[in-house]
Amino acid sequence: MTTAVPDAARATAPTRRRTAGRAAVGPFAAHRKRLYLPFVLPAFLLYAAFLLAPVVATAWISLHAWAGAGPMEWVGAENYTRMFLDPVFRTSFGNTLLLLFGGGTVTFLLSFVLTMLLRDLAGRSTARSVIFFPNIVPALVISILWGFLFQADGLLNSALRSIGIAHPPAWLAEENQFKVIMLGIIWMSTGYYTTIIMAAVDRIPPYLYEDCALAGANAWQRFRHVTLPLSWDVIGICAVLWTINAMKTFEFILAMAGSASSMPSTSTWTASLYAYTSVFAPTGVPQYGIAAASAVVTLALVGVLVVLIRRLMRREALEF
Amino acid sequence: MSTASTLRAGRAQRLLGAPLVWAFVAFNVLVLVWILASSAKETRDIITSPWALPDALHWDNFERAWNAGNFGPAALNSFVLVGGTALATVLLAAPASYALSRLGARSAGAATSLFAIGLGIPAHAVFLPLYQVMAPLGLVNNLWGLWLLYTATSMPFAVFFLTGFFRSLPAELEEAAALDGASPSYTFWRIMLPLARSGLITLVLLNVINHWGETFFALVFIQEQDLQTLPLALLGFMQQMQYNGADWGGLFAGIAVVVLPLVGLYIWLGRRIIEGMTLGSGK
Repeated sequence: MTTAVPDAARATAPTRRRTAGRAAVGPFAAHRKRLYLPFVLPAFLLYAAFLLAPVVATAWISLHAWAGAGPMEWVGAENYTRMFLDPVFRTSFGNTLLLLFGGGTVTFLLSFVLTMLLRDLAGRSTARSVIFFPNIVPALVISILWGFLFQADGLLNSALRSIGIAHPPAWLAEENQFKVIMLGIIWMSTGYYTTIIMAAVDRIPPYLYEDCALAGANAWQRFRHVTLPLSWDVIGICAVLWTINAMKTFEFILAMAGSASSMPSTSTWTASLYAYTSVFAPTGVPQYGIAAASAVVTLALVGVLVVLIRRLMRREALEF
Repeated sequence: MSTASTLRAGRAQRLLGAPLVWAFVAFNVLVLVWILASSAKETRDIITSPWALPDALHWDNFERAWNAGNFGPAALNSFVLVGGTALATVLLAAPASYALSRLGARSAGAATSLFAIGLGIPAHAVFLPLYQVMAPLGLVNNLWGLWLLYTATSMPFAVFFLTGFFRSLPAELEEAAALDGASPSYTFWRIMLPLARSGLITLVLLNVINHWGETFFALVFIQEQDLQTLPLALLGFMQQMQYNGADWGGLFAGIAVVVLPLVGLYIWLGRRIIEGMTLGSGK
């Protein structure tokens, strides 16, 4: 990000100079200015109409009792209180937090270990490409595969049986299912974060490690005093990305249940599943208010976390 | 890295670490090969001998998935939809990003940040009002509606990505064009856009990859079978399996239809995809 700054400064400097002195505004600069709105507006209007406005509308809906048709009834914060009293929502919200913090910790630890291991591995770019690949495969496909891997007569159990374990654990039983799902998401994501962190670590000049070697630092000290501080801001960005991506988790859990018509067991829901089922439940009246309230809670969580991460991770920029 | 201690540490790392990394790599490759092998096997064989290679290539899996499983029409729908979305996204986001990053307008910084906020908005936070507004307009159960939705929700990332890219281009060319008397819009379409070609191609790639497997919006906004995209066909096929018995062969053939184009794309343009997806964070 630092490299982009001089270019940006150079790009804006001449225009600013031209606008500063009134007399210096040539027809060309004015012409350029005239381009701004027609260029930005189409994209911006589309974005505002399909993302910004609906967020506001969702917040509005969350204060009403509504079945999607007919009159909306103002209920104030009642949807929120009802929702937090609902054990299903509490499980969903708990799962979201578990994925966010538990899954995040494991993913980041794994990514760091892989980065360190990949540092001077022969064939590292091949290894990196293969590890990255699950990221571009639709989560739906990975989920179907994951389900097949872990089901009772699935791949994993057949492998376990062949090495003599006759009674493997019930992977997809209620109490284990979400852990299996998290494992799948971690597997999918690790390559992504490894690649980002690797790029940051690669930019650390080798002479710093040579200094470490001269000072007799061991691997942990090298990591703690060179690698970690010098890739700190990238880790911050990764944390933001993870927060956003974890909140979007949806189809991975949906497909574990087998199909679109039957929903997965409530013990595996996250906030997004909860919002979806509150409206599209196979049975029952759609509850738009509740769905909207759960969406607002997730959005608020994302917002708070992103601000917090940026605060916590902010440090003096290390020039190197 | 020249002293004995680091050499020793390096050797230990290689001895312990390398097998771990390669085991991970092998697992990923195995998974992919296993999907492809299973797509050509009979369901019975997938269950009884999941590790065996196919005894013969059962193309009937693909035939069933393609016709009865609706993967044929779905592949066509996905293909057109994803292509149209990528095209529209670039056509809208490229001028916007250029204007935001290079025209020096006072509101540009704030507008760019506003676009960036969109990166954090999940689909389930916007689908309710969108559904309510789009249904009376006939945009639900309509591929045009989904196309509009995909294009609009692509804007945050596209603008975020392309502003970064345009910013990195040299300013001299713009200035030279101005001195030669080129109009600003000519400068954009004929000089800056071709210069940004590589960024635009990467954006198209990422956009295509994103929407190829998009499930949430498709699930909410498309109900008719004729209009299904590939993820919906996959879900539908799994649903059928509950009534008609497990057809894992057909299912894996369907999965192969979804995954193979991505594998091809990745082998062909993998470096570009990786760099694009991690750009802005790795820099």
